[in-house]
Amino acid sequence: MRRRLLIVLIVLIPLVIIDLLWRESHGHFAWSGIPAFYALLGLIGCVVIVLISKWLGHHWLQKEHDYYEEERLDE
Amino acid sequence: MSSLPPALIFILGAIVLPFLPHRSRSAAYLLFPLFAFTVVANLDVGATLTVPVLNYDMVLLQVDRLSLAFGYVFVIITFLGGVYGFHLKDTGQQVASLLYAGSSLGVIFAGDLLTLFVFWEIMLVGSCWLIWSRRTPEAGRAGLRYFLVHFVGGLLLLAGIWLHLEGTGSLSVGPFEAGTASYLILISFALNAAVPPLHAWLPDAYPEGTATGSVFLSAFTTKVAVYALIRCFAGFEPLIWAGTIMAVYGVVFAILQNDIRRLLAYHIISQVGYMVAAIGIGTEMAINGATAHAFTHILYKALLFMGTGTVLYATGRSKLTELGGLARYMPLALALYMIGAFSISGFPLFSGFVSKSMVVYAAGLVDMQVVVLLLYLVSIATFLSIGLKLPYFTWLGPNRSPRPTAAPRGMYLGMALTAVLCIAIGVYPTLLYDILPFAVKYEPYNVAKIVETMQLLVFTGFAFWLLVHKLAGKDTVTVDTDWFYRRLPKLVNGLAYRLSIVSGCHHIWDFVQGVPSIVSLHIVLVCRHIYESYQRLPKVVYAHIVSGCHRPYERLTPFFKEFSGDIALGALFIALSLAAFLISTIA
Repeated sequence: MRRRLLIVLIVLIPLVIIDLLWRESHGHFAWSGIPAFYALLGLIGCVVIVLISKWLGHHWLQKEHDYYEEERLDE
Repeated sequence: MSSLPPALIFILGAIVLPFLPHRSRSAAYLLFPLFAFTVVANLDVGATLTVPVLNYDMVLLQVDRLSLAFGYVFVIITFLGGVYGFHLKDTGQQVASLLYAGSSLGVIFAGDLLTLFVFWEIMLVGSCWLIWSRRTPEAGRAGLRYFLVHFVGGLLLLAGIWLHLEGTGSLSVGPFEAGTASYLILISFALNAAVPPLHAWLPDAYPEGTATGSVFLSAFTTKVAVYALIRCFAGFEPLIWAGTIMAVYGVVFAILQNDIRRLLAYHIISQVGYMVAAIGIGTEMAINGATAHAFTHILYKALLFMGTGTVLYATGRSKLTELGGLARYMPLALALYMIGAFSISGFPLFSGFVSKSMVVYAAGLVDMQVVVLLLYLVSIATFLSIGLKLPYFTWLGPNRSPRPTAAPRGMYLGMALTAVLCIAIGVYPTLLYDILPFAVKYEPYNVAKIVETMQLLVFTGFAFWLLVHKLAGKDTVTVDTDWFYRRLPKLVNGLAYRLSIVSGCHHIWDFVQGVPSIVSLHIVLVCRHIYESYQRLPKVVYAHIVSGCHRPYERLTPFFKEFSGDIALGALFIALSLAAFLISTIA
């Protein structure tokens, strides 16, 4: 896991630097000036969505696979 | 140039097909979409066809560029689904598919609200039939829930239409003024478009369909609703947020799914969210985006359902926890599935890219930055679930599947043809842009956009690589808003039972037990009331037939108007009663 994170950072950091040096800011969005914004969004956004969904599932939404069936057996 | 309603071709096909020799049915099926395609291709903008039924003029055909765009893709997918299901020996499914596709086309080309309503209800019959064709107890129950939910939706639509007629004297399909009538219609459209919290029927029922059935299911109901929303509610701003929330909602729930087809079903909700948001924006660019996205979505989602359907056919399984390592046996299915996955994820050169980016661009043009950002996030989660997680745990990953049986060649051919279209639209978007409702002032491919998209997707890939251990399927069910009619009733019953024991008072228990019969009694009473007020209707209609003159629709309208209040109220009341009945009996 730590090694994988390291590899991702090795790819990400040069990308940020390249973006800082060569890219002119274009687009009119609030985030248009942030270097390598879309790479960061892809990485962080994905992790955040997974963690939030998993948290919701674990604490609230996910039930045993026979959650609806067990009721029927009672009848 | 013709003015033959394509809907009738399919409905005729549904009637004729059972009378043909068994072996020729699959081939004969394909003739109807081919014929319908030539008919749609020859329809002129502005063509109409009015058929008098009793004294009412049904406008069966009213063509404009919007309906044509939907017409094309509906006919195409009916053909592709037929190729995919060529091996079927089940005439019921073929008839249901034709009926479902035909009635969807009927809605698309309907020129008045009553015609629209009639086809809207036939769609329900066709789609329900497709779900029940799976012939499992789960499919039976899910189909029944699907039927009841949509039946309520249909009644709300009917109530809305009659109130609208009473208020405005018009039955034309078009933009509505705000008011009770239009809100009722909006609710029924939103229900069919699966806008949360009215969406639970979709992930409940679609994964229970057959391999072929789900291909059709994924194409029609929600997209017909998208069409109806474009037609009647374009620019209605709350839809922007409803759509955006929908898009996020779908991907969040998709991550929690174990059944691969249920995962795809949640992504229908998510993708339709893009369209609904675009409809809310309502500019020409946004409406083009919504239409384009509906078009590409139908194709790539069908391809995804075909891919997972092939897995279901070959292994009898559709759960992540029971699949894995299939790439050895079904590499072609994986390759074709991935074309669908790249399309839905919006990879450059695949169809989703040229439509999804248009919706996002339209949101950017009206400076809805939060919407743009959220739609990017949805894009990420879509690639994660459909492009990485699902194929990884199904075709790669730990080997849990039994040795699959060979899937029929027709399935692969259907997938291949669909895949070709996905790539063709991605590589040469003009194909699609030329048939959109408005002239397209949008260039999907430029260096900055491609760089941005690739950054987004590649780093999503990295995130998957980091999180892969967290993403394995869990054998659970995810509660959604169907909880209210699948679980709550039992809880209420149980609570009443316990209360009655604790308090020593049987009345509570008796009362709760009696609710279904009270509701049924109400339904009977209301039906009786409506029947009594309808009794005068035949006399009026009869008088007109006898008088021998063919009355144009405007002159009949006052007679409808006379009853519209009663009919609307009645339909509304039945809808609510049925909803209550549904809640109090089904579990």
